[in-house]
Amino acid sequence: MNRNETRTGAQALVDSLTKAGTEVLFGYPGGQALDIFNCLPDAKFLFVLGRHEQGCVHMADGYARSTGKPGVCLVTSGPGATNTVTGLATANIDGVPLIVITGQVPMSLIGTDAFQEADTTGVTRAVSKHNFLVHSADEIPEIVAQAFYIATHGKPGPVVIDIPKNCQQALTSAQYPERVSLRAYHPESAATSAQLSRFARMINEAKRPVIYAGGGVVASGAAKDVAALAHKAGIPVATTLMGLGSFDERDPLSLRMAGMHGTPAANWAMNEADLIIALGVRFSDRVTGKISKYAPHAKIVHVDCDPASIGKNVAVALGIVADVKDVLTTVSSRVKSATHPEWIAKIDGWKKSHPVSWSQMHPGVIMPQAVMEAVDKATEGRAVVVTDVGQHQMWAAQHFRYSIPRHFLTSGGMGTMGFGIPAAIGAAFARPDHKTVAICGDGGAQMTFEEVVCAVEHKLPVTFIIINNGCLGMVRQWQELFYKKNYSGSILTVKGRPNNEHLEQDLDYDYLPDFVKLAEAHGAEAYRVIDPAKLDSTIAKAINSPKTTVVEVIVEPRANVYPMIPAGKPVSEMVFN
Amino acid sequence: MSENQIYRLNCYVENKPGVLARIVGLISGRGYNIQTLNVGPTEDGTVSRMKIDVYGSGRVVEQIMLQLRNQVNVIEVTSRRKQPKGE
Repeated sequence: MNRNETRTGAQALVDSLTKAGTEVLFGYPGGQALDIFNCLPDAKFLFVLGRHEQGCVHMADGYARSTGKPGVCLVTSGPGATNTVTGLATANIDGVPLIVITGQVPMSLIGTDAFQEADTTGVTRAVSKHNFLVHSADEIPEIVAQAFYIATHGKPGPVVIDIPKNCQQALTSAQYPERVSLRAYHPESAATSAQLSRFARMINEAKRPVIYAGGGVVASGAAKDVAALAHKAGIPVATTLMGLGSFDERDPLSLRMAGMHGTPAANWAMNEADLIIALGVRFSDRVTGKISKYAPHAKIVHVDCDPASIGKNVAVALGIVADVKDVLTTVSSRVKSATHPEWIAKIDGWKKSHPVSWSQMHPGVIMPQAVMEAVDKATEGRAVVVTDVGQHQMWAAQHFRYSIPRHFLTSGGMGTMGFGIPAAIGAAFARPDHKTVAICGDGGAQMTFEEVVCAVEHKLPVTFIIINNGCLGMVRQWQELFYKKNYSGSILTVKGRPNNEHLEQDLDYDYLPDFVKLAEAHGAEAYRVIDPAKLDSTIAKAINSPKTTVVEVIVEPRANVYPMIPAGKPVSEMVFN
Repeated sequence: MSENQIYRLNCYVENKPGVLARIVGLISGRGYNIQTLNVGPTEDGTVSRMKIDVYGSGRVVEQIMLQLRNQVNVIEVTSRRKQPKGE
């Protein structure tokens, strides 16, 4: 394009998104975004029309989590923008790079309570890494470049660009900058030589070391470096929920997931460790439990790119603000080869005596854990697994064997129900080389089911598996264990509800919706499984289908997630069943 | 360290719309009350200085400071314990 050529701000936006490497744009139109939408048919990237703005953001999120590249989303002003808030918060807490562009009423109308006006930068400030309100068309290319830089540097996160309609329509000759310069934001940080020496020395001196790997390992692309350090220095590896896939769970050194629903071996190892090597984690309360009793014998080394994360929840002996991969590359070369036979033998004993297991509750009723094993088997452990939030999320974390980074996508920090279906669609656009399987509960599936249409339209061979227990299982589990079985608001069937939720008992159905009919109405191929004998074959059939498939599995309604360390309790209070 | 005291945060920030709201939101969103707030330009018109007094524990103020430093428009932040009058 000629340097002096002018085009509208909307066209400048589309050009800038292309320059920034956008391959897919997820979005939903509306009045104040029409000038941008007017330019899209000529754009070089694909536009995917979601069915709700929340779905669009989760799709962009699934795209970003499965690739590491920023997901891009475009919505209109007012309700379009406010509908992105949950998606932004979800991405923000999990450190997912997103660019969310919102239309805005013209500058002359801002502050007048105009139709579909909302203070988008005000509303999104606390749920995004940064946001911009564009003041002139000339700013658009520079702001887009800055937004992509901010979203992907330091701890990744979502960035909102709010563009008033008059700025979309005004003419500009501003060009996309070749280099981004931000005056005040310089997140790059490296370990000092003294820190690296001390880190290596602590590893060499440790008798009972544990590596504790989180989402930062995945974000940094450091999975191979974690494996190299673990194997060289003989260190067992536990992961967080967000870190699943950062270390091969079939490796003998794997302790699998730590935390509230983590493995006994992972939690006991952290409890008895003399050194915890925390890589790209934030010591969530779901992992530490009672903070004063957390890892009482351990010195903690914490490596993270976010300085505010270090020392936030637990005191550390050595905090290093740096990229995990950079640090591991150097440290691995400085540590001595070691094995810790006594320590490993103790851990192997725990793994044998307390594996994560389950048992049948009622004959002829499918256990939800069996569904996870069936899916893991049918996909040979290679699928991109996307979950919603609740019991099924924890079963998915426990009963698959993860071995590849970016193959387990879940709303970890925010715990956003409704995430699973759209995020799986975003991942399927990004990773056509792998089968994408969404594991959802019947509660969360009803929050964003409309997006299934989007998968069908684009012929995405996603399999959506709905673990239907007729209740909001995790809520019900907490009510059973901590609220004297007072199942208020958590039962979705007609039967079994408390008195104040009274429903007519003579209805000719026990539970709505009929997910098979719902899926078929959305154009998907649908199956329902009730008989345990047909579980494996139906799952395999759906997963091998070239079409978008939905499998509703009717499971044991009273199954609980174990083991469990109740919130705020120490490891010693782990409950097994 | 854990006793609550008044701390003075000195922030140098880019003089742009929305920056004050972002900083105030970050502090008030954690449930901390700002006791005094003073914003003004520096000799460099593109940089503003904010003097913020908050009441809290040293650990929390340290955390707020780190979060402020993470902000895209924040150039530098320092904090110090405010001496009560006559101390």
